[in-house]
Amino acid sequence: MSANTQALPAEKKTLGMGQMKSVVFALLLDTFLWTYVSLVLYKVIYQKIILALRFPEFSWNEPTTALIVGGIITLALFFTKFSIGRATSGLYELDENKSIMKEPFTLLGIAIIFLTFIAGIYISQISIREFLSESGLSGARRIFTALFQPNLRILEPALFAAIETIYMAFIATALALPFAFLFGFFAARNLMNGSRLGLAVYYIVRFFLNLTRSIEPLVWAIIFSVWVGIGPFAGMLALMIHSISSLAKLYSEQIENISNGPIEAITATGAHPIQVIWFGVVPQIVLPYLSFTIYRWDINVRMATVIGLVGGGGIGTMLMQYQGLAKWNEVGLLVIVIASVVWVMDYASSKIREAIK
Amino acid sequence: MLEVRELQKIYDNGTHALKGVSFDVKQGEFLVVIGLSGSGKSTLLRCINRLHDPTSGAVNFEGEDITKLRGAKIRNVRSRIGMIFQHFNLIPRRTVLTNVLSGSLSKNGIFKSLLGIWPEEDKKKAMQYINIVGLTGKENIRADNLSGGQQQRVSIARALMQNPKILLADEPVASLDPATSHSVMQYLKKVNEELGVTVICNLHFLSLVRQYASRVIALKDGLLIYEGKPLDIDENWFQTIYGEEAVEVTIN
Repeated sequence: MSANTQALPAEKKTLGMGQMKSVVFALLLDTFLWTYVSLVLYKVIYQKIILALRFPEFSWNEPTTALIVGGIITLALFFTKFSIGRATSGLYELDENKSIMKEPFTLLGIAIIFLTFIAGIYISQISIREFLSESGLSGARRIFTALFQPNLRILEPALFAAIETIYMAFIATALALPFAFLFGFFAARNLMNGSRLGLAVYYIVRFFLNLTRSIEPLVWAIIFSVWVGIGPFAGMLALMIHSISSLAKLYSEQIENISNGPIEAITATGAHPIQVIWFGVVPQIVLPYLSFTIYRWDINVRMATVIGLVGGGGIGTMLMQYQGLAKWNEVGLLVIVIASVVWVMDYASSKIREAIK
Repeated sequence: MLEVRELQKIYDNGTHALKGVSFDVKQGEFLVVIGLSGSGKSTLLRCINRLHDPTSGAVNFEGEDITKLRGAKIRNVRSRIGMIFQHFNLIPRRTVLTNVLSGSLSKNGIFKSLLGIWPEEDKKKAMQYINIVGLTGKENIRADNLSGGQQQRVSIARALMQNPKILLADEPVASLDPATSHSVMQYLKKVNEELGVTVICNLHFLSLVRQYASRVIALKDGLLIYEGKPLDIDENWFQTIYGEEAVEVTIN
């Protein structure tokens, strides 16, 4: 009993802290939303649509003013039912009989999404007039007729380039495999949370994997084409870097899903941790790994084409060259070759993955 | 040969699984641990071979306190204690022979074992234990293709590969049907009597306890509440251990 009464005030305190946190969060969210609304209303609705300015001037005073306006509106409406922040942090006591769609904050939210939609249309410069204009349509007609009359004379070099692309993707996957295999273990929480050192390694590896994965292979290809020169090698390196981080992520998630039983059993025999991983973990993950790796190869073939556009070699580079010369018949042939390679790879990889399940 | 003293285990989530348990195990005993689910039976076994680290207390195995050992020393202790599990915990997609051989990992070199190279004498020994648990001819079948009872026998053979002084069995028959349960228990009995391996076994069914145990301890809420002969557990003790509402279920 005495333990209970002692525990109560402490509990209240932490509850108060939690409430403080959600109130602060709600205030910040509301301020952000109202600032956004006032900025969009002024810059897009007023300047672009009502005044129809083509290039409205920008000064940092505008977002600052919007922030002040947003803050004032937030303070004015925070305790009414128009506060989205309070709604999302669960600070309202809602009437369960009333549909949530009829609450003022829901209507406000819908209005903000609608506003974003209007602003988005103007910012993307969507224009039906351009889409249906005389000169535009005739250009499109010219390209499409050329595309549908592919130039078969470059079939041979196109096929060679496609083969180069497939091999490039294969080597990128194969070279990424051992690295990803190793990093997969280091990035698996259930294997690494045994000690503080393990957890530190886990966070460092995770950080670098996320970092390399968040840089697009296209960017890597540009970096490597400067580094090692334009060609398949640069493209291969770009795909490899990206494959390492993506595969390691998939592998580690697979490891996190395995059953703990065999690990426990092998540990109980007195085996070394390396043996525990080899006999307790690896047999459970081989097949999923194989499936992921084949899928990655498939993705890499598709990506290799795009990477070729920035100088990564293969059929993508060829496509870029003909496209630059406006030789649409040749481009048409390349598009057909790319489409068939991608289709075949997609079909084959899904069949193989199904077979080894 | 095994002395457990004031063993306590508090999990990271605050669960107080063992609240100071003490008992002795003598050479050649067939000790059965009973108690409700959550009474701390599994934790107790896992503290003995340090799959879980006890919070406080001592476990003296062959005269040495093993609760603070690390690295190669604790692996050496584990290699002398075999363990079998409720869900068998065999290596999936591997043969019966490989599974049995995995019991000898601790004394084989890391790199050789990664390459799958096993000493001839270990292979011979593995075949012998496969024979003992009655699975002759099934060495090269994938372990996960066997029935539950057969899988549990494979795991007994794996534990025997360690030449264990003690065999820990954590609910070895809880996921098996009654007939298979008896067969597995009989193999454990055989290991206990013919090979002289001390057995510590968690069980649910009192009928099995009366038939196989040489001594019984009972846990309730992390405390040891009964210690004695299996036939001395009468109606009163049964209700103390399993609660007022409990009715005994027999298994034949």
